[in-house]
Amino acid sequence: MFVTCLADLMRPQVAFAAVALLERAGCRVRVPREQSCCGQPALNSGDRASTMNIAKGVIRAFSGDDYVVVPSGSCADTLINKYPDLFRHDVKWAGRAQDLADKTFELTTFLVEQLGVELEQVSYPGVCAYHDSCSGLRELAIHQQPRALLQQVEGLSLRELDDGSACCGFGGLFSVKYPDLSGRIVSDKCDQIAQTEADTVLGGDLGCLLNIAGRLRREGSDLKVFHVAEVLAGMTDGPAIGEAESEDTA
Amino acid sequence: MNRARDQILGTIRKSLADGEPRTTARLEELRSRIQNSRPQVQPEFDDELLARFCQKHVAVHGTYERISAKDIESAVVKHLASIGLDAQWHLGSGPVLDATQWTDKVFVYRKGADRDTKAALSEAVAAVAETGTLVMCSGPTVPPSQNYLPDDHLVVVDRRRIVRHMEDAWAILRESGATRGRAINLITGPSKTGDIEQTIQYGAHGPRRLHLLIVEDA
Amino acid sequence: MSVSTASHRVEFQDRAKQALQDVSLQRALAKARGGFVDHRQEAIDALPEFDAIRDAARDIKNHVLANLDGYLELYEQQVIENGGQVHWARDAEEACQIIAGICKDAQAKTVTKGKSMVSEEMHLNPVLEAAGMTVVETDLGEYIVQLAGETPSHIIAPAVHKTREQITDLFHEHHSPLGYTDRVTQREALVNEARSVLRERFVTADVGITGANFLVAETGANVIVTNEGNGDLTSCLPRVHIVTAGIEKIVPSLDDLAVLLRVLARSATGQEFSAYTSLYSGPRRPGDMEGPEAYHVVLLDNGRSRLLGGQYQAMLRCIRCGACLNHCPVYGSIGGHAYGWVYSGPMGSVLTPLLNGFDQSLDLPNACTLNGRCKEVCPVRIPLSDLLLKHRVEQHERRLSSGFGRFLLGAWAWLACRPRLYQGVMALPLRVMHMLGRRRGGLTWLPGVGGWTGSRDFPAPARRSFMRQWQSRKVRS
Repeated sequence: MFVTCLADLMRPQVAFAAVALLERAGCRVRVPREQSCCGQPALNSGDRASTMNIAKGVIRAFSGDDYVVVPSGSCADTLINKYPDLFRHDVKWAGRAQDLADKTFELTTFLVEQLGVELEQVSYPGVCAYHDSCSGLRELAIHQQPRALLQQVEGLSLRELDDGSACCGFGGLFSVKYPDLSGRIVSDKCDQIAQTEADTVLGGDLGCLLNIAGRLRREGSDLKVFHVAEVLAGMTDGPAIGEAESEDTA
Repeated sequence: MNRARDQILGTIRKSLADGEPRTTARLEELRSRIQNSRPQVQPEFDDELLARFCQKHVAVHGTYERISAKDIESAVVKHLASIGLDAQWHLGSGPVLDATQWTDKVFVYRKGADRDTKAALSEAVAAVAETGTLVMCSGPTVPPSQNYLPDDHLVVVDRRRIVRHMEDAWAILRESGATRGRAINLITGPSKTGDIEQTIQYGAHGPRRLHLLIVEDA
Repeated sequence: MSVSTASHRVEFQDRAKQALQDVSLQRALAKARGGFVDHRQEAIDALPEFDAIRDAARDIKNHVLANLDGYLELYEQQVIENGGQVHWARDAEEACQIIAGICKDAQAKTVTKGKSMVSEEMHLNPVLEAAGMTVVETDLGEYIVQLAGETPSHIIAPAVHKTREQITDLFHEHHSPLGYTDRVTQREALVNEARSVLRERFVTADVGITGANFLVAETGANVIVTNEGNGDLTSCLPRVHIVTAGIEKIVPSLDDLAVLLRVLARSATGQEFSAYTSLYSGPRRPGDMEGPEAYHVVLLDNGRSRLLGGQYQAMLRCIRCGACLNHCPVYGSIGGHAYGWVYSGPMGSVLTPLLNGFDQSLDLPNACTLNGRCKEVCPVRIPLSDLLLKHRVEQHERRLSSGFGRFLLGAWAWLACRPRLYQGVMALPLRVMHMLGRRRGGLTWLPGVGGWTGSRDFPAPARRSFMRQWQSRKVRS
């Protein structure tokens, strides 16, 4: 499994949830220690050389595995679409990048399309709005997969956002370089979430979810924000993303 | 000026290839692509042409009536009266209009419209069912100002000239030599604007209303 | 150069900030946003062939660009055959001189203009005004913007940033001296008043200047698409008709034109077809009772020819429909003026640095979340977000981006290539941030992430990273 840097540092539970889902589906999960980040911050800053260095590390780290599963649409997109493009003219690495791309899957896509899993009994009593992240939606056509899985969750009902394919304003370093703009866009997104009258926001990309959760907290909203993997794995007892820890779990 | 031309074409050639001028043969190739141009991918629909045309025309805020050629004058007079206008209008030209005899109860002006023109009656060269579009062509007796200056534009459409797609209209124009005239005006509904609060308002600069007389028996 | 780039950067950021705080602008943008998106979607849902037509549209444009010199020559021959003249302008200044010259020769006092982004690109109006002419924009949106002394903020909806109240004030101020002393506030009355004022201009103008959505090589016609009919009144009534167009506007035949028209209106406003699509070629023909006596086409290069054959060539496919603006969250937040030049939104962010110079517009390719929606909706399939990324690569390789940013990124990338070291180094800040943020669930202030915390919390990270926890779990088991 490719953990992704945000799950690693910000929300390890997402990665644990992904591991649990894969193991319950009968997979043997290996998490190579030689991984940090897929390189998107460098790639999106136009630094191809650094991205290629990072990419080579990722390619090496997973060279022996059958599948690489990523609990993020945008990181999966980087491995699947961006790496092969980066090494297009590199005789030595082009093939290896393509090999990695061919065996890499975003988590919900892998569960639905490769494994066809039926979830073990899991429930989440809540009305959920699902945020489709841009890279996953547009580059990997992730839309039905998480919804198909969430339908199997007892007690959960899904609400669609008005203009659901609009960006949340995260954009990685964009949110740091242009915080006012990013803040403006996420505030629009949160308005649309509020309109659905859902009590929970779900998504498949931690970057977007941190952004949305950060804005909701600032607005004083008590909407819960979870990564879809956490709900599917039944790991929603602790604090949601951006939520305070209760005393006993701290 | 020619220096600018040569320089621009030179830069294009340098950017595209080796900076060599196009050979005559290559120009002929492009010319023949134009001459052999064919319709490409088109929207498919099964609707009957007249029904489709009328439906699309109404969808863009147009009105119409289906009449016999002998009733053109009375239909125009009645329509104008219904919006409070006298029986006078600027008159265009076309096979149907040219064959129409006007009585002395009406005044027709065979000239271009001016700033105060209330109504004009034109004839469409073709009409496109795909989008509800009228095809108008300029000529010695067909001044395009009649399409744009009047408050009310009435257009006679010979039912047999309703074609399926835009490309079918091009074929008619090519055949008749109308593509050599100054203006080909495609008209789809009355004038409108969305420039104030992105909300549609009719009658921006052109006609406020567009009424068609679809002639069934021309 | 570093000074000028730094100042530009501040300019964009300042303009964006101002735009975000401009209450009227925000209200106008909010009103416009959903409409364009929904209408386009409805139009496309009703046309199953839309994607196939988009492919065809892209292919036509690609074919023209690959043979642009040849098609320009064929087009020119047709215009001359129709009795018109073709002028070639290498840059904006040359184009302005040519047009001013034609207007002077025609002894023009009043010039009416149909909407033309290329003439905005040339900054034509001030040149004609300096030569003593009265220049009147006739597209209602352009007219409003002209009265306000501003530039268009959207390529198809120039006054999208104006509220009805602002338009009421503008009309009252400018039309009162003409005798329209009542203050009209309703949409219909505002449109009628403009119609009446501009009608006078249309019929008295000496020269009409329009743009061209397309130039048809087959017939030598320029194509104008409008809903108002202003382009037609500008083309038909004055003694002289001048067409301004970028050299990339050519389509080979009328059948090719049909393909592009099918995607243009749907992408722009969600209409199947605009009210008026007109083809004008040459001056009035012998025997015609009206029409201009002279017809000129001014073809503008202004950097376009250099883009052919390069990595940005796809940008020349652009048909200026505005769909990428309408679907861009950044455009939707700040409107067009913040972009600093005539073209805004994704297409502007790609084009402006290419036509105006890379070092002049460093922010534009970066002020984008790379959400890719622009690329998804483009009717000629320009990979806009990919082109923005190419800009970033070029900025990085030409060392135009900020030195400190490059240093931080370099250091981070160095670390990211050494995962074990990375995991160790990240442990401490993680723990500190976790401690600080755990009670609220997030941090309300955090140095080093720019202004993120200005409008959002920064959710508290975990106490220990996943990789650390995973290692101990493995050891335990």
